[in-house]
Amino acid sequence: MDIDDLLAEVTADAIPKETRDLQELTRAWVAERVAPELLLYPDALMERVLERIRKQIELVEEQTGNMDPKSGFKLIIIQTELERFKFLVRSFLRARIKKIDSHPLHVLQTHTSNPTLLSPSELQYLTQHQALLSQHYASSFLSQFPAALQRLDDTAGGVSMIEKPDEDTAVFCRALRDVGEVVVEGTDKRFEIQRGDVSVIRWSAVRRAVLSGDIELI
Amino acid sequence: MALPLPPGLTPPEIAFLCEMELVTVIPRQRLEGLELLGGPSPPLNPPHRTSLPLWLALLLKRQRRANIIPPPWLSPHSLTAILDHETEHADAFSPPPRLPSPPPNNTLPFSPPFLPSSTAEAAPDALPYHWLELGEMLLEAAADDFEDPDNVRKLLRGLREVRMAKLRKGVGVLDAGGGVRMNGVGGMEVGEGRAFVGGVIDGLRKIAASREQQRKDRDREERENGYSGTVGDDDDDEMDMQ
Repeated sequence: MDIDDLLAEVTADAIPKETRDLQELTRAWVAERVAPELLLYPDALMERVLERIRKQIELVEEQTGNMDPKSGFKLIIIQTELERFKFLVRSFLRARIKKIDSHPLHVLQTHTSNPTLLSPSELQYLTQHQALLSQHYASSFLSQFPAALQRLDDTAGGVSMIEKPDEDTAVFCRALRDVGEVVVEGTDKRFEIQRGDVSVIRWSAVRRAVLSGDIELI
Repeated sequence: MALPLPPGLTPPEIAFLCEMELVTVIPRQRLEGLELLGGPSPPLNPPHRTSLPLWLALLLKRQRRANIIPPPWLSPHSLTAILDHETEHADAFSPPPRLPSPPPNNTLPFSPPFLPSSTAEAAPDALPYHWLELGEMLLEAAADDFEDPDNVRKLLRGLREVRMAKLRKGVGVLDAGGGVRMNGVGGMEVGEGRAFVGGVIDGLRKIAASREQQRKDRDREERENGYSGTVGDDDDDEMDMQ
């Protein structure tokens, strides 16, 4: 972060950091629920949100001990909001686990080339789950195959055994900034996308703009 | 543990998003400001108006601690005007509310449900992204805060039908490339149309997949040839100079 970022942050808006994190988390959740492939794990954001949730839970535990009837309603509000946040975080993580489960080897490969894709616990889940699975396959039937046919990630013969998500799936998206021209590969289609435009388009065509934050999925 | 839902938001999830929209309330009781996870909530001092997220406003409303002021676009007058616009312009949705001025480049841009498009100060002439969900929820929980809830309900139903017809008619222009512009579409409408619209585009793409692959290869070849072509031209120039 350089001085310009800092200045912009101070002058840009008086919107509290918590609200901006909520917007960011909500956006990440929707994107993860909609996008066909696994997106990068928002490390810093999740750390902040989880820390706040932890503190809020502590607060609730303390206050329930007091049993002051006046603070009862305040506590209800705080707990309602806490549950909403927990739902967001949980649904976000579960949507990620679903994608990890459906294309484990592909995710592992992508993570190796880009180590910010998974959080440490997701990586641990993936590798251990995969180890258990391949151990199970090996002991139940793979060991009886000829050695050349035992691999699960064979790419010989031009066909990869590793399944990938369909990156050309159509997604609904909204432009947050002017994007300019978007080209759909393999067709004549070109579009001008401006701030506020909502369109249905292939994930592969807007992928880069979504990752840079110029377009959001809806 | 993995989420057993298909890609795309389900209606309850869209309603959950909509509950983050800000609405204006008139509190009936005092309440101190609270440090919430999504930012501090303002203190409530009757009879001063305050903007709160919808979930909190509904909670206060159910306990009769506040009244909700319906957004200006949710009045019979505005809805009638928007409905007229929708019926007159058969090929596009009515335009969405005007966007706030763009934020500086390196800050986080806000989008629905975090734009104040449903507070008492919102624009009266445009349907915001969560119009249907918000209207339904307010009519259900705070019907007594409307002047003419039955009329509003009827107009909302009318709007929904006109717009759904447009969404269905729009299916005719779908093709394998996608890229359909849908400015002004609502959150619930996206949720309803997603499976069908996405399915049609993906299906058409799979039918045309081999032709597209050919084209991709040809484009790539052309790019490479074009590039080597210019290199060839340079060579010619050099030869001329010699």
